[in-house]
Amino acid sequence: MIQDRISQFKRDFSSHTELRAQVNTTRRIGFLGGNLVTNLRSEQGGVSARVYEGGVYGFSSSADYTEDSIRAVLKAAQENARFLDSRVRKGKGPFPVIGAGNRNLDLEFRDAEQKRYIDFAKEVDAYIAGKYPNLASRSIILRSECTEKLLVVSDGFDSHSRLPRTHMYVILTANTPEGSTVELVCMFGDSGDFESNFTAPEQLFPEIDRTYEELMKKAEGIYADAGLKDCVLHPNLAGILAHEAVGHTVEADLVLGGSVASHCLNRQVASELVTMIDFAHTLPDGSPAPLPVLVDDEGTPAEDAVLIENGILKGYMNNRESAQHFGVKPQGNARGYLFSDEPLIRMRNTGILPGKDKLEDMIAAIDDGYYLTETNNGQADTTGEFMFGVCMGYEIKHGKLGRAIRDTTISGVAFDMLKTVDMLSDTCVWSCNGTCGKKQPMAVGMGGPAVKCRVTIGGR
Amino acid sequence: MENREIAQYALEALKKAGADEAQCIVSRGKTDELNVDGGEFSLMRSLLNSSISLKVLKDHRKGVVSINKLDRESIDKAVADCIAAAESSMPDEAEVIAEISENADTNFISGALEPDKDRLFDRIQEFLTVVKKEYPKVIMEQLISEYSHTDMLYMNTNGVEFSYKAGGYGFSTMFSAHEGEKASSFIGYGANLNTLDEPFLEIGQQKILLEESGKQLSARPVDGKFVGTLVITPACLGEILSTIVGNFMSDSVIIDKTSPWIEKLGERVADERFTLSTIPLDDRIVCGERFTGEGYPSQNETLIENGILKSFKLSAYGSRKTGYARALNSSWNMEVQPGDTSLEEILSGIDKGLILNRFSGGQPGTNGDFSGVAKNSFLIENGKMTDAVSETMISGNLADILLHIRGISKERLCDGASVLPWIAFDGVTISGK
Repeated sequence: MIQDRISQFKRDFSSHTELRAQVNTTRRIGFLGGNLVTNLRSEQGGVSARVYEGGVYGFSSSADYTEDSIRAVLKAAQENARFLDSRVRKGKGPFPVIGAGNRNLDLEFRDAEQKRYIDFAKEVDAYIAGKYPNLASRSIILRSECTEKLLVVSDGFDSHSRLPRTHMYVILTANTPEGSTVELVCMFGDSGDFESNFTAPEQLFPEIDRTYEELMKKAEGIYADAGLKDCVLHPNLAGILAHEAVGHTVEADLVLGGSVASHCLNRQVASELVTMIDFAHTLPDGSPAPLPVLVDDEGTPAEDAVLIENGILKGYMNNRESAQHFGVKPQGNARGYLFSDEPLIRMRNTGILPGKDKLEDMIAAIDDGYYLTETNNGQADTTGEFMFGVCMGYEIKHGKLGRAIRDTTISGVAFDMLKTVDMLSDTCVWSCNGTCGKKQPMAVGMGGPAVKCRVTIGGR
Repeated sequence: MENREIAQYALEALKKAGADEAQCIVSRGKTDELNVDGGEFSLMRSLLNSSISLKVLKDHRKGVVSINKLDRESIDKAVADCIAAAESSMPDEAEVIAEISENADTNFISGALEPDKDRLFDRIQEFLTVVKKEYPKVIMEQLISEYSHTDMLYMNTNGVEFSYKAGGYGFSTMFSAHEGEKASSFIGYGANLNTLDEPFLEIGQQKILLEESGKQLSARPVDGKFVGTLVITPACLGEILSTIVGNFMSDSVIIDKTSPWIEKLGERVADERFTLSTIPLDDRIVCGERFTGEGYPSQNETLIENGILKSFKLSAYGSRKTGYARALNSSWNMEVQPGDTSLEEILSGIDKGLILNRFSGGQPGTNGDFSGVAKNSFLIENGKMTDAVSETMISGNLADILLHIRGISKERLCDGASVLPWIAFDGVTISGK
């Protein structure tokens, strides 16, 4: 646990100040065709301070975590704030007071020996090599991360948090009849450390077998027919839909930059079936969110941010500065990735609430379209135009699944596409393997149900 | 302790702990950064950076540990961790620590070693003022500009030692145009700089992209679907070329033989006018790589010459694993040789196609198939750039398009990281609504 060397400096804060000590721990194993190509242990830690004066921030960080370096970063952050304030003179006043408190989130992180990761991944690799010798290639990436933060603030909640997540990616590549290759990835893991996610390699084998079967179908698959199509997005895609298509456009910093959502507050932006929430720490069924946040890096106690309610855009995600601008209460969305990163407005656990439909009924309702089941990346635009890569899917013909399709991309304009949503499944899938990119990377949770909608699909 | 003293201490400790061979990279630096959000200064940030990376081989088993603390206690722990990681690993004869290269320079200095913070602030302010005046519809959603200085040392147990002091400026912008409720897609552009002598507006493609942003307010989807010509601008070409190199020429796809170019060394993989090099030592590249992370001196290298594949882009490990030559650098500073026709001439010969400034797409598989959204892009009709497009997708295959180059412009742009022309590729599927 990070030793508390920062609380003693709280009495010296003169302006709005956040002081944070942090350590990011990473363990990573990579196998490629049976070769151990990555065998890495990494720790990045240090202390940072951010000071607000007159409408601008000063920030400073140091990898050294000593009383002298803490004093130095506080001084440098103050000087930076004063320098910038002296040059731009925005003349803004202090933030509304939050009040003092303390909340801790200490999830367990047992730092397994590197041998544990290697032996586990090696056993999984041996299973694949033995059972599927016809694969063109196989690789495994096993990654365990833990972010530990200790925060004291001049106004708001102090906190200590420890948030681990561990995932394994199994990437299978097969030859196609025409002599090229196709790939498919299966992912295991969740929040928590290695030991709490992975106990026996054989527990993974059924899912690897299923992925192999799908890969064989994909190798024989066809290219999607490009154009606007009726589609069912598997729950695996709902999270990225929530995150990319809507989430980024309702981050208040992007709203202030002119995102499409800046004109849409309290307007109908989606079908009445759609309710979208950025959950702070607890899902509607009372279970913990994939990556819970109790207090953000500005000392704001975290609560859920309702983004879309029954199709109406209800609000944005804010930090303290944007919340003051919009005259709303901040809800704890400001987070920094490393100790040396300033807090930015970030999503936490963003998802669409489930509906009442059955997945099989949703597929049966499509005469000519696609059922899209796996995604590998996504990007957003401030216009609301989004895209994400689809790496597994099937044709739907006359309400039944047909041939598998090759890699493709779907895209649309979020607030147009969401109005076409006419069915949502009654079950959700949540995940926390996503790393969002926005100046800094950030671990994010996302989830939702299967979605029936009309979306543009790329193809040939 | 100084960097050299730290590296010596770490290597001695690794040897004492049982390492057969080891390498150590120690780095210290400082970053001063100014941020603009929504067109206004928002943050000034100063970072003191440090890192040490240890790689050890024990019985041909590799362990790697990376930390950012340089005190003795932290290094001692990292040494123990690194040895434990190696002992847990699997033997691999392809893992090596670099031997001394004959006649190689070992000490390097590059760029601006001291920042001029006031001038940096003034350059940003000047840029914001000009954008506000000349491009009133543009909102500068974010601008980040910084000065970074790094003092790095590489040392290994075979006597290889390099040091590199480098400093430079950088700026990156993200902006979009707005008129009432109409908005263009955002676009980002950035560059690395040795000096602050030139206004940011005049660097690389920055000005063109700002001018085009306003025209994108009236973007519309392409009608239907057609196969046409894709003209990729320098702002977008670097990313596409990086994907091509990664997918067809890098360690993973050559080691597992999934690259479609695995049998193509010495053969044609692109149009004969296409020559691609990596040029970290070029004067136009800001603070380019001088030695690789594996301990070899960097040299510029031509990967594809007149369409012929000359080399894969392999690490020393990848080289020993496959028997192909090691790449002469590990940088991504790319140069494409210019063509002999102007951009205007190339465009005038295109019946129907797109000018692509940004690609938002799924990660292409090893086979090179790509599909995604054409962002900040314009239709080409009957030899002229016409309407801006939205909700328009493109798809094709990266290996195929290299063989179907219509033209390479004689104009090129440099952003301090690469030197690239406009390239027109035929045979790309373009689809709208």
